[in-house]
Amino acid sequence: MTTTTLTLILLIIMIAAFVLSSIKLKSPDISMAVAAVVLAIAGTIAVPALGSPVRYLVEGLFVNLDLALLFIAASIFVNIYSHSGAIAAITRMVVEKINNKWILLSIMGIMMLIPGALTGAGSVAIFVLGGLVNTVLEYLGISKKKRTVFICFFAMLSAACPPINLWTMLMTAQANMPYVGFTWLLLIPIVIAGAFTIIFIGWGAKPQSKEETLAKFPPKDPKLTWWRIVLPFVAIIALFLLALYDPWGLPVLGLPLMFLIAALVALLCNPKKTTAKQYLGILDDTMEQVFPLVANVLSIGVLQSAMAATGVRGLIGSTCVGLPLVLIYSLILVVGPICQGCFNYGVSIVLGGPLIFMFNTLGMDVTVICAALSLIFPLGDTLPPSRIVGRLACEETGYKESYIGFFKTLLIPMLVLGLMAVIMIIKPAAFAFLY
Amino acid sequence: MAKKSLIVKIIVLALALVLALLAGIEFWQLRHYKETIVASEDLTEVKWFSDYVPSLKNTWMDTPVFIFDSGVEGGTVFICGCPHPYEPASTMAAYLMIENLKVETGKVIIVPRANYSGSTEGMVGDAYPMFFHVSSDWGISKYRIGDRYTNPLDQWPDPFTYVNYPSGQNLAYQDIRNLNRTYPGRENGTLTERAAYAVMEIIRQEHVDIAIDMHEAEILYPVTSTYVAPSKVLDREKFLETGEMEYYEPEKSSLDVAMMAGMNISDQFLMKSAASPNTLHGLSHREWADWSDSLTFLMETPEIFIDKITGPRTEALMTEGKDEFLQKVTDKGLTYFPYDMEFGTPMWYRTGRHLTGALEVIFWASFFYPEMDCQVTWPTYLEMAELEEQGIDSVGYFLKDPNAPENKDRAFTIYYKPVGANYDKY
Repeated sequence: MTTTTLTLILLIIMIAAFVLSSIKLKSPDISMAVAAVVLAIAGTIAVPALGSPVRYLVEGLFVNLDLALLFIAASIFVNIYSHSGAIAAITRMVVEKINNKWILLSIMGIMMLIPGALTGAGSVAIFVLGGLVNTVLEYLGISKKKRTVFICFFAMLSAACPPINLWTMLMTAQANMPYVGFTWLLLIPIVIAGAFTIIFIGWGAKPQSKEETLAKFPPKDPKLTWWRIVLPFVAIIALFLLALYDPWGLPVLGLPLMFLIAALVALLCNPKKTTAKQYLGILDDTMEQVFPLVANVLSIGVLQSAMAATGVRGLIGSTCVGLPLVLIYSLILVVGPICQGCFNYGVSIVLGGPLIFMFNTLGMDVTVICAALSLIFPLGDTLPPSRIVGRLACEETGYKESYIGFFKTLLIPMLVLGLMAVIMIIKPAAFAFLY
Repeated sequence: MAKKSLIVKIIVLALALVLALLAGIEFWQLRHYKETIVASEDLTEVKWFSDYVPSLKNTWMDTPVFIFDSGVEGGTVFICGCPHPYEPASTMAAYLMIENLKVETGKVIIVPRANYSGSTEGMVGDAYPMFFHVSSDWGISKYRIGDRYTNPLDQWPDPFTYVNYPSGQNLAYQDIRNLNRTYPGRENGTLTERAAYAVMEIIRQEHVDIAIDMHEAEILYPVTSTYVAPSKVLDREKFLETGEMEYYEPEKSSLDVAMMAGMNISDQFLMKSAASPNTLHGLSHREWADWSDSLTFLMETPEIFIDKITGPRTEALMTEGKDEFLQKVTDKGLTYFPYDMEFGTPMWYRTGRHLTGALEVIFWASFFYPEMDCQVTWPTYLEMAELEEQGIDSVGYFLKDPNAPENKDRAFTIYYKPVGANYDKY
């Protein structure tokens, strides 16, 4: 049997295991782990030389460990900060002071971009600001579905937004390129797609009565002074800037610890009398809230490891890069996000790296192409099996209707960004002036 | 119902613990496995990274440095093996050099496992086998295949972006654990930066004339099967005074030497030459030249395992390199190496390329610049090819039995700290 046939059979087994498990268990996270185990066992039976799969399955749990810790730490920060009443106070202030719908939407969009731009993870943007943005958009009279689309799309944009774009970083590392020159190449399409989304979402929306909206907020705590509100954010931004501009003067803290330090500052700034037991309760609730997402990123690491070991990853990667150029141009907008759904950030290595090398062979500008791919891949965060950002956005707004219905609406801004990225891939030289 | 759910949870937890234990045993085996080599009779001294950067002592980044001094005036050659442990032909070549080296003039310094820590874990998510085996007349030897990066058990967490010192260039976050992105290193930096600094100190303190870094690369990568050498070097004084990076053509050109070496071995195997870019920092072929006076070279052999898009990732794929998917993409003209899966990219071939590739560089550097003359020999690609034609495992053929009585005095355990009495003698 050829390797192609063998790995194709293994791919079918993996998909069948995932689908059956999803139907039975109703959990994409557990289903991914089940699919990984089934694939690994089938792989070992088919290729005994692979040996016991236990080690690489467990190894897979560590692929996204840092990301999982980041999710946990960012959520702890936000929940402690929120407990102090600061987020409600900021929302109240925004609604009170800003009357123009478009300005308000633009501010929400820009704010959403920041957490992901600094951490590289769109989910963090939802954790940190999803609740606030949802409330403001509700005040603006935007439907639940469109609110979910706004939060989801800006979270994806924030992951792609410079300075930290993890897909670009992983591809540059593989291709021996410096992580330099991507700022405008990434930012300009993001701004255009963001502006389009603001118009698309805000069009026709009629803000609710300001008084009625404000009445829904909890009364402002007089002890919650402006510095108590600002200081936790100052702490996290200061840590980011120090790490960026004085990298050799500060020990490497890592993003999770930075958020935990900010959480400590938020705790110290909290004007409410909060007992240790209450804080433990907040931590407990945070873990409940973030657990499905942690399970998701850990499971996808396990699946990624099993796909690598058995050659299924090789089948997908070699088939994609072996396509004729015209097909790559036509399909990248579909294949890229689908692979993101399967491999998470690993898509940069499986698909991104080989594509960069392939375009380099053709003498095309790979810096522009690398940026374009980094705009396409995040779109897959709404696709199964992982659909991390899509799911999180739905949870944040309480959207419980059909995921397909939400996705159809989301598809419009996704296409705007995706088509810009495809044009960048087809005509990279035309965008070279941006770096 | 609640009782049933609790039972299910307990079973799942117990299963998870069993799996963790089984995997943990394998992780422990990889971390603590000790390779043993037999140094050639020309060995004169063994030092450690910690002799150059004391803070590395008793860390998993300390590693032995083997020195072969002929006692006759000549050039000094430095060879760096295993900067990326997941490129195992680099380590294998360094071991074969150490075991078979004869030096008549000058001095040779070899580090066989430059990122020791990185060799103690696998490539997470890439399902690498832990070990590969080599057969000899006297038995089977086992060697580790490690990671590209320093083990996170020894250096963690990563920053959100890595800023190379002193260029200030931003690189991918995980490159802070990549030895070949952290040059020229920092004496008080991260563990990997300190190891990089130790390499720089070896080159500077031992007055190295020719420095060679051995790597492997994916065949989809343009720089596979290539010498990389700088054509220009940094004006250090100006940089230290003004912070401005200006490059000039040095009197002695690494690139000229690399091109001659590449041409001369073209009848044996393809070896291209590429100029080291001034715009990418942290790599040996750039920073060794910029921060020392040595001629510097990086060698890449073709290694399909790194290509990621392979079939099932078995030990045989690592040691034989025969893969249908890579053949398909090669047939479509997407690879930078004339790959043929009938032949593959076997371990002996990749090791032999490094052995001959290094000898050629040393020969041509000595030819161009006689003051660097270093007369050294070890097994060559052609010798290995000849043995392979006879059906003999050429890598195993040149390995010495560490348990043979005649070798016991020169057997060295490769670990992050001295193991065995032989280290005391040197």
